[in-house]
Amino acid sequence: MSSFFTGIATIAGAFILYQFSKKMYSMKPSPFTMPIFLSTASIVIFLILTGIPYETFMIGGQWIDIFLGPIVVSLAVPLYREIHLIKKYAGAISIGIFAGSLTGVLTGIAGAKLFGFESWLIQSVAAKSVTAPIAISITDTAGGNVSLAAVFVMIAGVSGAMFGPVILKICRIQHPIARGLSFGTASHAIGTAKALENGKIEGAISVLSMTISAVFVSFLVPIFLAIM
Amino acid sequence: MKYFIMILQISVLFLFNFIGQLIQGYFSLSIPGSLIGMLLLFCLLFLKILPLVWVQTGVDFLLKDIPFFFIPVTVGVVQYLSFFYGKGSLIILLVVISTFFVIGVSGTITNFLLKKEVKSYE
Repeated sequence: MSSFFTGIATIAGAFILYQFSKKMYSMKPSPFTMPIFLSTASIVIFLILTGIPYETFMIGGQWIDIFLGPIVVSLAVPLYREIHLIKKYAGAISIGIFAGSLTGVLTGIAGAKLFGFESWLIQSVAAKSVTAPIAISITDTAGGNVSLAAVFVMIAGVSGAMFGPVILKICRIQHPIARGLSFGTASHAIGTAKALENGKIEGAISVLSMTISAVFVSFLVPIFLAIM
Repeated sequence: MKYFIMILQISVLFLFNFIGQLIQGYFSLSIPGSLIGMLLLFCLLFLKILPLVWVQTGVDFLLKDIPFFFIPVTVGVVQYLSFFYGKGSLIILLVVISTFFVIGVSGTITNFLLKKEVKSYE
């Protein structure tokens, strides 16, 4: 019974914190007030200070988790709404997604080698740009550590959503299709959430990019792990 | 009534997720079930078998607050804090820099190709 109340309290707490973060972000927009970052950082600090284990947090957290599958399903709708645009620019879009997927795998593996990391770590970092369930299965096949891979996926997602707008500005990337594509290819569903905030076209292209890049990356990772 | 429709529509999304997982399990595919569910829903919408209004309200409700649903997974980082002390922190830096490269490269190339395409129409 007590675990029931722990669960309810966790969900309510997380929801209030999220709403508060949203308000903070609208008052003072910055990468560090982004709801996903601010909420996560506050909860992590709270858990460390109180010594509450992650498992206890997940008594309630698992009920939020079960929505992740249906959310991925629901991304079919923005994709469907903008399908005419995707058809029109199919060539540029597929080249862009391929270039991004290749960059992610190459810089991930090359950087890890440069820093002198062990091979299991290199195998765990290679698939970080794609959505967690796919990254996990790629990493598993490659021989890396799957739970650590999931952490890298989260870091790629949150950092891309936080600083993506700055990078796009520096590189003078203005076309909404190019912008959405960057978010989806680099930062999967978390980047897509950000792209959807920016506009319908950006959101739809981001959905498409996270789906297609997942397919590209699952082919690229084993190839480059073997030859590099 | 509005909430009833919304809950019903979200249940439809759960159903698609479930069917996707069944398909994945049956054919032991490496693509996650949720993604199969998404492609399935997309096909039904595209072929006009399932009208958009059947899921629209539920979808818009979920998509408005996607980041909220990611909180539990991202909080999972807390289990690996000790790994990231010392040399492990370098790998965070690597993941972040590599992500920036992906954004810059894919965006610049796509932006360039789209500009060229528009020009060739003129």
